[in-house]
Amino acid sequence: MNLGEFDHLYISLQAEQNGDMIRIQVCGGTGCNAQGGRMVYDALYREISEMGLSDRVLLSSTGCHGFCERGPIVSIQPGGIFYPQVTPGDVKEIVSATVIGKQVIDRLLYVDPLTGEKQAFDHEISFYARQQRIVLAGNGKLDPQSILDYIRNGGYQSVRKALSSMTPEQVISEILASGLRGRGGAGFPTGRKWSFARNATGDRKYMVCNGDEGDPGAFMDRSLMEGNPHLVLEGMIIGAFAIGANTGYIYVRAEYPLAVSNLKLAIAQAEKLGLLGNNILDSGYNLEIRVIEGAGAFVCGEETALMASIEGKIGRPRPRPPFPAQSGLWGRPTNINNVETLANIPHIINQGSVNYAATGTETSKGTKIFSLTGAVNNTGLVEVPMGTSLGELVYDIGGGIIGGRRFKAVQIGGPSGGCLPAKYLGLPIDYESLSAIGSIMGSGGLVVMDEASCMVDIARFFLSFTQSESCGKCTPCRLGTKRMLEILTRITRGEGREGDIELLVELSNNIKSTSLCGLGQNAPNPVLSTIQYFRDEYEAHIREKRCPAASCEAMIYAPCEHSCPLNVDVPGYVALISQGRFEEALDLERRRNPLAGVCGRVCHHPCENRCRRGDIDQPVAIAALKRAAADYGANHKTGRPGKIEPVHKEKIAIIGSGPAGLNAGYHLAKQGYRVTIFEALPVAGGMLAAGIPEFRLPRRVLREDIDFIAALGVEIRLNCPAASIDEIRSQGYSAILLATGAHKGEKLGMSGEDIHGVFDGVGYLRKINLGGRVDTGKKVAVIGGGNVAIDAARSAMRLGAESVTVIYRRPRRDMPANDEEICEAESEGIQILDSTSSLQILGSKTHVFGIECLRTSSGTYDSSGRRRPEIIPGSDFCLEADTVIAAVGQIPDISFLSQNDGIALNGNNTIVVNKITLETACKGVFASGDNVTGPATVIEAMAGGERAAISIDRYLQGIPLEVERFIENKTPVDIPWSEEEVDLGARRQMPGLTSAGRSRNFNETNLGYSKETAIQEARRCLRCDLKGN
Amino acid sequence: MAKIQLTIDGNEVLAEEGSSILEAAREAGIEIPHLCYMDNLPSSGSCRLCVVEVEGIKNLVTSCSTPATANMVVKTATEKVIRARKTVIELLLSDHPFDCMTCEQSGRCELEKYAYELNVTGSRYDGDKHNYSVDASNPFFIRDYNKCILCGRCVTACKQIQHIEAISFINRGFDCKIAAAYDRSLRESNCIFCGQCLAACPTGALVEKSRIGAGRTWELEKTTTICPYCGVGCSIELHTKNDRIVNVTPASGESVNNGRLCVKGKFGWDFVHSPERLETPLIRTGEKGEGKFRTASWEEALELVASRLADIKSDSGPDSLGFLSSAKCTNEENYLFQKFARAVIGTNNIDHCARL
Repeated sequence: MNLGEFDHLYISLQAEQNGDMIRIQVCGGTGCNAQGGRMVYDALYREISEMGLSDRVLLSSTGCHGFCERGPIVSIQPGGIFYPQVTPGDVKEIVSATVIGKQVIDRLLYVDPLTGEKQAFDHEISFYARQQRIVLAGNGKLDPQSILDYIRNGGYQSVRKALSSMTPEQVISEILASGLRGRGGAGFPTGRKWSFARNATGDRKYMVCNGDEGDPGAFMDRSLMEGNPHLVLEGMIIGAFAIGANTGYIYVRAEYPLAVSNLKLAIAQAEKLGLLGNNILDSGYNLEIRVIEGAGAFVCGEETALMASIEGKIGRPRPRPPFPAQSGLWGRPTNINNVETLANIPHIINQGSVNYAATGTETSKGTKIFSLTGAVNNTGLVEVPMGTSLGELVYDIGGGIIGGRRFKAVQIGGPSGGCLPAKYLGLPIDYESLSAIGSIMGSGGLVVMDEASCMVDIARFFLSFTQSESCGKCTPCRLGTKRMLEILTRITRGEGREGDIELLVELSNNIKSTSLCGLGQNAPNPVLSTIQYFRDEYEAHIREKRCPAASCEAMIYAPCEHSCPLNVDVPGYVALISQGRFEEALDLERRRNPLAGVCGRVCHHPCENRCRRGDIDQPVAIAALKRAAADYGANHKTGRPGKIEPVHKEKIAIIGSGPAGLNAGYHLAKQGYRVTIFEALPVAGGMLAAGIPEFRLPRRVLREDIDFIAALGVEIRLNCPAASIDEIRSQGYSAILLATGAHKGEKLGMSGEDIHGVFDGVGYLRKINLGGRVDTGKKVAVIGGGNVAIDAARSAMRLGAESVTVIYRRPRRDMPANDEEICEAESEGIQILDSTSSLQILGSKTHVFGIECLRTSSGTYDSSGRRRPEIIPGSDFCLEADTVIAAVGQIPDISFLSQNDGIALNGNNTIVVNKITLETACKGVFASGDNVTGPATVIEAMAGGERAAISIDRYLQGIPLEVERFIENKTPVDIPWSEEEVDLGARRQMPGLTSAGRSRNFNETNLGYSKETAIQEARRCLRCDLKGN
Repeated sequence: MAKIQLTIDGNEVLAEEGSSILEAAREAGIEIPHLCYMDNLPSSGSCRLCVVEVEGIKNLVTSCSTPATANMVVKTATEKVIRARKTVIELLLSDHPFDCMTCEQSGRCELEKYAYELNVTGSRYDGDKHNYSVDASNPFFIRDYNKCILCGRCVTACKQIQHIEAISFINRGFDCKIAAAYDRSLRESNCIFCGQCLAACPTGALVEKSRIGAGRTWELEKTTTICPYCGVGCSIELHTKNDRIVNVTPASGESVNNGRLCVKGKFGWDFVHSPERLETPLIRTGEKGEGKFRTASWEEALELVASRLADIKSDSGPDSLGFLSSAKCTNEENYLFQKFARAVIGTNNIDHCARL
């Protein structure tokens, strides 16, 4: 075919197109086919023929649409009506309603996971809307098995242009100018690579396309080879022309049968039309391309191993130099490019380098295809401009984390890449910014992980992959990755040892610096990056035999128990409740948690987040069951222990009677110590008494729990403000625990803060809870989004405010307060004014008039992994208010400490402690709770209290504080479980007061389960503690 | 060959263009530890022991495979390099038996040598170790792949020196090992038992059966001599203890065979200590076929042969005699032999057995 004939073909194909045709495009990619896409296509074909629509409807099987998880995908043009997850059963309706009736079928539409809205058109769906599809543009539109369809849509025009009007040097300089870099991972400038091969001397040169895609979860190359094979060929022809090669090889793994057959078909079609073979388009240039099927060794993606494999040798890498450009296939100059790299070439030649370089960042041009997988709502192939942030990929395109869980990390670059934590959500993805934080682009795999992923186990998974894919040639990779995997496996089995982390780091660094090829050099990356960002998790596994994500099976009794900071035997007491044995349930609960009544009401229950029943429908209402047991005990006056006679002579002083102090006192008293708790306030309970309002935690419940602890012999002295360390010691106390909490409200730092009528959140709550008079006005504004803000707002409402508005600077979904509390507040008539920033409080000296506010929009992701609120210029308005409550955080009040005490402090007034032992810089003095962690939860403070109690016992007994601290394994309660007896019903609703009945008084809003409801709810438990029994 | 200048460990070094860093360093008297590299053969760069630091390159490079280039600045013994080498040895030891006290290779084992030099006393990794059964199925040597460090020298020797390619690598990763095709025995492969693999092996993975229990390396006396078989005259080294041969290796250094040997030279020396071996000439005393002989001196024996040859020639003419020479003799000896037949005896009845 000469140029004229080619142009004629193109024009005639264009003329054939009938604009009135309805085009139904069924995805024919491997993902959709695996889900029955071919059956949908066949059913459509039959239905269209039977309905006699064949002349009006053009049905085609296209390349992968990228949204494989929602396959099979059917899209209908013109318009772009998008139906995901279509079954053959839907076909009749699609033809009758949509094709004939021009109606959108509501039930088939895609539902946005974040907003819950139905979306009819592909361009509306956030998964597609935020993408910029240059390379993938033809996927989903073209029939990959038709060269004519390809040519009709502008295919092979870049070959025409390059071969008829450009010299090889011009092609290379155009690619250089475009800034295109290798998409296989390393990001080497493609133009430079080509010029090396061009300038190499040799009678014969080779052009190789590397289609040996091997990263777990990455399938962009497959999608291109399957879905648009001519695009790859076109890029290859131009590359081969540029370097002066007359032979090309496409190396594809045999596990990609559709890619292999579509490529072979495409080559045959191109040869037939004279677009491949001798004298292409009458230019005098010859090129033969062959497909070589690889046997599926990951290492064959490495260029020297790939070439060995093409030569028919064992697929092992060899040292470079010599580089392939000098000595490649059979010792001749060879150029190797990745599939996606080549698929960019036609666009660059057609549109010009300037146009291409307009997309992307300074050093990384164009777009990049990522394969977004893991714990996001929308998984699939996404093509975005270089420089797009991780957060946009995860939240805007990925639709956020499944089940509303928290984002934890993203593994970028496959097994050779690294795990990046939430603080990098704002990172623009390009080669430089990734390498600046020690990560790599890799081929573009993005595995998103949520809080349920254990980072040690993730590292172990990737190592097991690289270890089994190591070719075994060089020592560091063959034996080093094996040893790393063994250490990691040991850690995840709860057999980790002190020094394992250091050994892993040492070994990793040596493997990186000495391995022969990229496989070994990058294999330690997942381990190094998880140690860098999640070292705490490694330490918890090794030192405490605990998996914080409750994922490592071997060390987990049950996920609920494991994720409870106190390791309460949840399945045990739930099983007892299911038998109606409430008293024993309470007893079991209190072995680990003496504040059962409190935690049954106010615990943020991390146990429920990990409940396996939640993977089926909803988690078991563990906290509510805890409350049911505690209420039973209170009502029946059972479970009150006798005093424990001290067996040790040492006296222990605990400063503060909050959850940390109370729990420490409880455990120390059980050990036989004489414990005195000093409380500055007139009531015991710390934040439980002063911070949490009555309507969430009635005082009688708190008293009940504290009485239980006091009954063991723990002395609580009220109205006793802390003295200095020396003074306490002088009173004969051998060990001291500082558990003073964080009771000081943080300042807003804006003008008007000192006006009468402006309160700080904790101060305001303290006054109410201690029974003091608080002048709350009619129009209350609360600034902040945490639990204190919500508690303050709800209290204000109860004190007679006519309107209460909570102002929060980010969107509502980012509010740190418990979602249940926010919903209750709203149902009580409290208004949440989110995405609003307060600028200053307006008023005279004695009166507040209002707050000057500005609306905010969500900007880039910040280091907390949330979008930074950005002020919308000119959006300011005044919110009328006569009372302002600032609840923007609390810090510890450490005024009681004297300089001589030797206690070291952090910048935010928290106390510096040894992370494991909680010992302060001053020997024999420990600290736990909010004054160490900053404001946290009740259960976390209690866990700190117990940890300090263990240390104090060891300190007094002269045992080293750090070693072997973990709690022994549990034995499940002796209650059998059978599948038949599991309650299949939904989670039981918590009965509560109506909003009318509660919003003006401090009565407890939640009423608790009845005995019968509690038993039914407890029967929903799947008894994970019985696994393996 | 053009010379290039580079700096190795602070010394200005002149090296031949095209030589590797390892070779350039050796020229300058700096020996870089290595396990997989063999002189004059292509390097595989697999053991990673010979890594060095090169200014301007982030990762360490293998000195055996990286060409020395002009103005290169190389450091062969920095802390990073030593740490890397120790890791390599420690990893190799983590999958290696600790039976050096009874290992035949002890004393010339290269792994042992570098473990000693780098002071790697053991391994902190206590994971899986291979437990291959020792292959003693061929008559000449045992293959104990528990001691194999997968340096690949045997594979290179088989392929590059002997051009046989009887063995290669099979399996991936930790399970990688050296094997003949389909992991069958060497007798079922195209192995010619030349012993090149044994000569190449740095550890005790390949050991001649004759060596087992026959003496420690340092007890053996080495004698360089010529192979008694064919006329090529390969230089060999006899390793002896108490005047008994323990094993034979190709002689090191310049020789006609340049480090090569065939199965006969390598393993075919058992006749040396055979009780049936003739040690003096014998003269028949009884009838032909009766098997009665007496010992004689060389003078007497040669005298007898000369007189009988002369008698036969004068009685029956020179063509009644025939001469058959041995392939074990040198060309010169064979030349003399035919000269003797033709010029002294006067017959063309001369042939050569060249079929050993």
